[in-house]
Amino acid sequence: MRGTTPRREQGMADPVLASMVHALGLETAPHYTAATPKIQAYRDSWVKLAKFRDGPVNPQRLEVADPAEMAKQIKAKAMDLGAHLVGICRLQPHMIDLGEDVPHEFVIAACVAEDYEKVVHGANAVEEEAMRTYAKCTEIATELAAHVRNLGFPARAHHNGGSEVQAIPIFYQVGFGELGRHGSLINEKYGASFRPGFVTTDLPLAEDKPREFGVQDFCMNCNVCQLNCPGDAIPKEHVMTRGIKRWLIDLEKCYPYSRLRDEYCHLCVDVCPYNVKSHPETYKAFMKERKQVGYKTPKSW
Amino acid sequence: MEKLYVNEIAPDGAINTVGLFYSRGEAENIIARLKAIPERAECHYEVVEAVAGAASTNPPKQGILTQLT
Repeated sequence: MRGTTPRREQGMADPVLASMVHALGLETAPHYTAATPKIQAYRDSWVKLAKFRDGPVNPQRLEVADPAEMAKQIKAKAMDLGAHLVGICRLQPHMIDLGEDVPHEFVIAACVAEDYEKVVHGANAVEEEAMRTYAKCTEIATELAAHVRNLGFPARAHHNGGSEVQAIPIFYQVGFGELGRHGSLINEKYGASFRPGFVTTDLPLAEDKPREFGVQDFCMNCNVCQLNCPGDAIPKEHVMTRGIKRWLIDLEKCYPYSRLRDEYCHLCVDVCPYNVKSHPETYKAFMKERKQVGYKTPKSW
Repeated sequence: MEKLYVNEIAPDGAINTVGLFYSRGEAENIIARLKAIPERAECHYEVVEAVAGAASTNPPKQGILTQLT
């Protein structure tokens, strides 16, 4: 199945970032060279696991009489491996990168929640936690794909070490939540504080369905992420893409704070009120801190 | 740096904003790649400067749960 959704190049392959970095007389973005050994180790881990994304399929195929039961077992397996959110849907062209070919019928999304408590420990703690969860998602996707191949079905892992799928359309279709103003999908329990891994496969599976719980309407009036963005990169206006509101982040305004400094920026996700339900005291403490510095400028700057 | 929306206009006139791009070359490259998709053969594309009101603000036809395809 060929993909139809453009993917922006990441890192220094993004011409927007590259031009901003070179305009400063630098070779690479300061944020990348400032990684602590722990963060670098997490990044190295998903590079190492890239070669295990795919592999030989067990010639003895399990007979799947009940896709619903199979889906239940796969979700339980993903949870055993450490996932907090697991969802399944049929793969569609808009879930695949433009120009890529993914020859599978289904996609399994397995996400790991970040420890929200880290927000009160500063940007480096938040970044380490983000990279830790990315690394965990890579492990889960890799092992889950291997497990499915052992059942006799082709399966490929998609994660930071290599991916041909689009996270947001998949999250939406499997019912994790709705797209928020900050450009990340919002789940009612985890906010946008979770990271993904995916497995595409032909294993017959029952599908989950999209769910609506008022995120897009809430985001129309909330503005907390927009008020807290130091680069003012989150727009007031949205665009529409096939019935979904999207607030397109201005990378030229985001990158000076998220890539051109040593420190990580995850503020839009951290200040989202959808974090308050699961972490009321931490959220209040964090927002008190944000208010003390007038929202836009964190204490440490 | 330019800020440009690429809008996709379906045969029935529905407009979807594909994304925000930062040079005309980038926007036109995306359009060329989208036009190569057989299912999009009857769609038209436009590049517009990202000012207020330039992107699609069509309300959802079937509500927020409309399938993306």
